[in-house]
Amino acid sequence: MLAKPKIAFFDFTSCEGCQLTVIDALQTHLGLLDLVEIVQFREAMSEKGDDYQIAFIEGSCTRESDEQRLRAIRQQAMIVVALGACAHLGGVNAMKNRWPIEDVQTYVYGQAGRNLYESYPARPISEVIEVDYAIPGCPIDREEFVRIVQRLLQGRKPKLPDYPLCVECKLAENACLNKLGKPCLGPITRAGCHAICPSHGDGCEGCRGFISEANFTYMREILRGHGLSDVEIDAQFTMFNYYQLAAMGADAPLSQINGNGHRRHAADAEVLPASTFAAPKEA
Amino acid sequence: MSLYILPKERLPGFVDNLRAGFRVVGPVRTETGYAFADIRSADELVLEYPTTILPPKKYLLPQRETLFTFRTGKAEDGAQQIEVEPVFQDVQPTVIFGVHTCDMHGIVLYDKVFSQGYKDEHYCARREQTYIIGIECLRPCDDASFCKDMGTLTAPPVYDLHMTAVDDNYLIDTGTEKGERLLLANVEAHLATTDDIRRLSQTLSAKWPHFRHRLKMTKDQIPSLMAINYGSHIWDTLGERCLACGSCTNVCPTCFCFDVQDEMALNMEEGERARMWDSCQLREFALVAGGHNFRASKASRVRHRMMRKGKYIQQVHGITGCTGCGRCQRACLVDITIPGTLNALYDEMQIDLSSATGA
Repeated sequence: MLAKPKIAFFDFTSCEGCQLTVIDALQTHLGLLDLVEIVQFREAMSEKGDDYQIAFIEGSCTRESDEQRLRAIRQQAMIVVALGACAHLGGVNAMKNRWPIEDVQTYVYGQAGRNLYESYPARPISEVIEVDYAIPGCPIDREEFVRIVQRLLQGRKPKLPDYPLCVECKLAENACLNKLGKPCLGPITRAGCHAICPSHGDGCEGCRGFISEANFTYMREILRGHGLSDVEIDAQFTMFNYYQLAAMGADAPLSQINGNGHRRHAADAEVLPASTFAAPKEA
Repeated sequence: MSLYILPKERLPGFVDNLRAGFRVVGPVRTETGYAFADIRSADELVLEYPTTILPPKKYLLPQRETLFTFRTGKAEDGAQQIEVEPVFQDVQPTVIFGVHTCDMHGIVLYDKVFSQGYKDEHYCARREQTYIIGIECLRPCDDASFCKDMGTLTAPPVYDLHMTAVDDNYLIDTGTEKGERLLLANVEAHLATTDDIRRLSQTLSAKWPHFRHRLKMTKDQIPSLMAINYGSHIWDTLGERCLACGSCTNVCPTCFCFDVQDEMALNMEEGERARMWDSCQLREFALVAGGHNFRASKASRVRHRMMRKGKYIQQVHGITGCTGCGRCQRACLVDITIPGTLNALYDEMQIDLSSATGA
């Protein structure tokens, strides 16, 4: 075990909800502060130290200027941990990858504002730097975070479940949502959250990523049975996992979108939905 | 043992009296069905229930059970030392009320598995303090049940008390002396008369036509059917469909496999060793050092489960590994069922005379 290792938290494109969960964990598991020294954590403190050994990174990489900062963190840290779905998978940020980046920028910021902010297709941080471990979820599970920190301090390899959510859902003795006709991605999604969404009546959306032997074919059959169209099923599959599915190229278990992020049938050219937000006023 | 008669109206009093000295668990209504849960007041107990997601095995083998705690430290001479303290979790006088006959057959197997050969101290400590009160099934749970095929429609000798609803009364058979004492100490019940026994017999006979057979073969034929079909292509078909979600094993009253893990406390000096339910349907179940996996394909895992239920457990313990409760069928999202599989294997084994002669 390291003698009170120094740890730091960093954020990239994200909602910072995973860091909030960390702050939460520090309150429920006060003993954590006896184990580690936090030297940088923008969301929780103003001090900034750069002599950390373990870096926890929240957020995906969505612009070129992020890359250098990521590489600097990698250079300093002995261990880099991806914190949450955005850093781990690309997460919801990667949904934008389905359209040309210029269209997305125009859609969000309007004609006049489309060049105001730098942006490119979202990627998990492991596409930019070497990542040692990931703590999945949107947001992360507090208990899992504590357990993984403990494991790192013991010099043991953190282990994530590679079985579906259904295991934990059955143990909770929940009625199966898919049996009740409500779409749930539990059968293909990595467990470890104690099936929190299905336990409260909401179908799983796959935020912890898919298991290594996810049965997409029969998952699709189940969702079709609920009356979902193939396009709707694609949307379910890609909500958190667009990046991974797109990376599968022609093998992606999607009916409409191919690996390049372009629709398989040119005739179906998709238009962006009408923006909910007014375009920024012309300067 | 003796047969007693208890008017139904005295059941709540019986349950409340038991609650004074025992943890009483039994089937209760939930939002979407029924589940075994702690009975907080007698009116929560529902004895006429179709089925539950998890069988009452969860009280005999908790989903997660601490086996011992440990503390690491240094001895005076500086050597690393470890102190170990055994833990017996959930060991307390418990009454499991309202156990269906199929689930009692599951408990028969559990008792064999955990007490014969290598005796599991944790299981046995809990089991010794547990009373089983069965309830006779007079109607099938639903279409998924095939208890009649599996011969689990009558109660095995594992109960302390077994109740059968007859009109406005329960006829209660005492399976053990401690069960009889439990009954008589907690409620006023009388020995059944010849007339009561006659009505009980009528009730028991009348229930059989309500249960249907689902298997094309007899229970005794299943082990050889499984042996012959180890190499069947059906396993590949089922493996393709299987989601490898482990639901079938988690809800099974005869599945007992567990994993063992050590977990540290936050102070990093103490910790505990715990065991938790595991499933042969999960990819990592047969994964060993070096990355070798004895059952890497889902097909081999589906086959393994069916073999356990239909053959292996029979060979080792002398009783069938499936109780016909139907829970795995209810839990499966891709329609992999034991009757469906056995019948498909059986059909394949038959010589098709029509095609042989028609050629």
